[in-house]
Amino acid sequence: MKRNKLKRYILIYLASAVFLTVFIGPFLWLVSSSFQMENQLFKVPPVWFPNPVSAESYREIFMGAIYDESYVSVYGKSSSYQARIYLRSFLNSLIIALSVSFFSVLFGAYAAYPIARMDFKGKYFLLFSILVVRLVPALALAIPIVLFAKKMGMNDRLITLIFINMSFVLPYVIWLLQAYFKTIPSELEDAGRIDGCSRFQVLNKIILPLSLPGLVTTGILAFLLSWGEFLFALLITETEKSFTSTVVAAMFATMVGDINYVTIIAAGVLSVIPPVLFALFFQKYIMSGLLSGAVKN
Amino acid sequence: MRKTITILFIASFCFLGTALAKDTDVELTGWPYQVDVVRENLGRFASQSGLSATFNPFPSNEYHTKMVASFTSGTNFDVVYVRDSFLAEWASAGWIVPITGLPGVDDYMADLPQGIIEQMSFEGEVYGLPYYSGNSVFVYNQRLLKKAGINSPPKTWDELTKQASTLKQKGVVRYPIVIGLAANENSILRNLEIISAGFGGRFFNDKLEPVFHQKNSGVKKALAWIADGISKGVINRASISQGDGEIDKFLRSGTAAFTIVTDYEMKVLNDPKKSDEAGNIKNALVPGSADAVSGTIGYVRLYSITSEADKAKAWKLVQFLGGKDATGAYYVPKRWALEFGLGFSPAPLYKDAAVRNSISGWINPDILQEQAKYGINRAYRFVPYFSDWEADAWSEFQEIINGADMDSSLDKLAKNWNELKAEY
Amino acid sequence: MIILKNKEISPGKLALIFSAPALFVLTVTVLIPIIYAVYLSLYRYKLKRAKKPFVGLQNYEKILTDEKFWDSLTTSLIFTVSVVGVIITVSFFLALLLDQDFPGRGWLRALLLIPWAIPDVVNALLWKWLLHPTFGVMNALFSMGGLIDEYVAWLSSMPSAMIWVVIAYSWKNIPLATLLILAGLQTVSKTLHEAAMVEGASAWQRTLNITLPLLRPTLTVVLIFETIFALKVFDLIYVLTSGGPGRSTAVLGWNIYINTFKKLDFGSGSALAMILGLITLFLAIFFYSFLDRGERQ
Repeated sequence: MKRNKLKRYILIYLASAVFLTVFIGPFLWLVSSSFQMENQLFKVPPVWFPNPVSAESYREIFMGAIYDESYVSVYGKSSSYQARIYLRSFLNSLIIALSVSFFSVLFGAYAAYPIARMDFKGKYFLLFSILVVRLVPALALAIPIVLFAKKMGMNDRLITLIFINMSFVLPYVIWLLQAYFKTIPSELEDAGRIDGCSRFQVLNKIILPLSLPGLVTTGILAFLLSWGEFLFALLITETEKSFTSTVVAAMFATMVGDINYVTIIAAGVLSVIPPVLFALFFQKYIMSGLLSGAVKN
Repeated sequence: MRKTITILFIASFCFLGTALAKDTDVELTGWPYQVDVVRENLGRFASQSGLSATFNPFPSNEYHTKMVASFTSGTNFDVVYVRDSFLAEWASAGWIVPITGLPGVDDYMADLPQGIIEQMSFEGEVYGLPYYSGNSVFVYNQRLLKKAGINSPPKTWDELTKQASTLKQKGVVRYPIVIGLAANENSILRNLEIISAGFGGRFFNDKLEPVFHQKNSGVKKALAWIADGISKGVINRASISQGDGEIDKFLRSGTAAFTIVTDYEMKVLNDPKKSDEAGNIKNALVPGSADAVSGTIGYVRLYSITSEADKAKAWKLVQFLGGKDATGAYYVPKRWALEFGLGFSPAPLYKDAAVRNSISGWINPDILQEQAKYGINRAYRFVPYFSDWEADAWSEFQEIINGADMDSSLDKLAKNWNELKAEY
Repeated sequence: MIILKNKEISPGKLALIFSAPALFVLTVTVLIPIIYAVYLSLYRYKLKRAKKPFVGLQNYEKILTDEKFWDSLTTSLIFTVSVVGVIITVSFFLALLLDQDFPGRGWLRALLLIPWAIPDVVNALLWKWLLHPTFGVMNALFSMGGLIDEYVAWLSSMPSAMIWVVIAYSWKNIPLATLLILAGLQTVSKTLHEAAMVEGASAWQRTLNITLPLLRPTLTVVLIFETIFALKVFDLIYVLTSGGPGRSTAVLGWNIYINTFKKLDFGSGSALAMILGLITLFLAIFFYSFLDRGERQ
């Protein structure tokens, strides 16, 4: 038995190593590049480890955020405008992503439950019309949505972006949750109903706790989708108070021969941290074994 | 309990990210190049004119998309940066207005070269004052050429091919020539226009009729030259996926020896902090042929006034940014030229010693001025349906370079143009 | 909340009540713009022309008789089939791996999100640099491994351009699909597994006979989503190939962008978006009715 266990572990770690290399490898190369000097980026063959190590871009972003224009770097360069407002834009992105994540899962779970469990006229109509929203590329809807937002005076506001992101995320959340709900054996619910619980109570007390992995996963999906959203963040925001991290990141790529590639990469590396932290924090809720406890009850 | 939290949550966000109160006199937008400098300039404007001004930039590559959405839904910007590539589009859609008849216009026009004025015009009216402008230049790596025993840059396209072959055979550079042939605004069509001009050809004639599909046209020669170069391995095949903003990497790392770039790129190419080949990159006249000495394309970025703006106030700002400030000097254009190497158009600045000295460090100003003489007239770019035609043309040219039949493809494009022309 | 006896409210009405918040967000934000987009598609709406007459189905006719549309559709389908195949296969195995119990799996799960979390601007740079013909890491690696003799300009010719676009896209989207399938796996009852183990079924048999069927709703949803995402793709194409070389990677999403933002032809752009939407809808309905088999097992 022990040998089997060892074999199993070896297999698992080997597979993990392969996947890690494929999926994290490129990112590690990005991180390495962000610590290089710009002319090292173009060397053939590529430089794997930065030498000398230069944290100049990170300094520009961090110090710039703290000291504003008064910060002058070792090279006599002060932080560019984009670098200075970058970290502040993280706050906006965070507010949007957290709100979207929370409310989408909340609204979505309630919408998904009847679809998963009950039969009623128009069920499929409801299900597919929720999906319709996502069938048309956002590009085609961009102008009408911006027009509408402006007419309602909701231009340049975070809440508008929260609404827009929610409406793009909800179809996915609802579809996913109805699938996850269906995976739970219905005997559990029947037991609850027999005991006299209403649908509402069944949902709250039985289904939601058991589908925690699904809820957390869709929450993470919602967070990521809205964190990385760019098109509407670009079109709806007008002033730096509302810029999200994706918009400011795009600003690093100015077109007049002055692009600082290292800074762009550093900015990208930093923007990966919040979503990964979010996922790290919540992933412990995606654990199995909750079900077995429930059955025994 | 949950409900109250929810409501509080929502309510608190309604107050976040509210737009700033709009009591500035003039609102400027553009892309985020040197935002601090722009804002400093605006501060100077405010103290000189008594009008307040703000600058709210958007990412460069998405600037056009953002402004299309902004204009369509009613923009609140008064002065906007415009690139000549979409000037006609915005003018014909009525989003920007001409400066004809505004006080002082004639004086400014007197200081600008005719070619630049044409690039800033649509249907005969001028739409603003220049932010920066210049031409495309032909650059070569002097060190690599010397290494292969070549002492002076090529004067014709044939000579270029020969020099490139020498570089390749001697093992100095594997793919000596790289050209931006990617399917975007600043790349494939522009470079084709330049190369064709060198072969004495044009895309359209003065009556705006297509001539590129005619037998032995300069355009056909240019396309053939490119395809031939790629198959011989003297032109880097990767050119097809490289845009104008990416060509510099090849020169910076010494993996290419010849290319065509916009003049301001040379500053980066010769900057020791950014380029391994700093000091080696020189400019020369764009090669010609038996039919033409040289050819190039100019470019202009300008400040325009939007249709919704207070014209008088906006014009004050445009004058300050693109023309003279209260002291009567071309303050802002000179600053861009001196401190950042951006190209300029007003005649007085060419004679300014400080400016000449500062740019000589990375580009030869005399050759630059000489090159400007060979700028071709591109009135066809300013018809509203040009961008419709352009979008399809890019992919068609790539197909031709990759082996599609040149004659039938070009005939198709000519037909497209005529159909669009009839429609408008 | 008043406890309602189930006999008093019909399932249909209950469904509406539960989905009210979600439907509210969707209607307000997206439904109206979609209707507007449909409306636009019936007009010759070019921003550069003053007259914008009603033309009925003319936009649609023009598109459907244009050979470029059919080329583009084929390209989209090739891309979608390739991408969905790769993603679902790899994600399934990756999810199986992550379902296992081993130390460090929490970290692995969160880290795997990194490709997804990288903002588009940086993702674009990343792949352009990895594939760069002169100093790209891919070229360096392949050449070190002896697979190629000289550096290749991957994005400048076919089929390598399409292959790399598929790889870049899959790289970014596999982590998410993995998470989604994983959540489904974890909702599957552990007790069912335990029962099967007692009876002596091997791990492989267990997977085939128990897990897969239970996973059906989840897999269906992931399949539908990935198809929808893939059919709409635009950002990656915009950044990596601009539809090139020639027109070989000009998918439908790219054409919608060209029509709407480059040619400023909103009528045609909207019509194309509607056509794409319809195609996607049919595929979604097809997959759903074929694969998803209801809530009771």
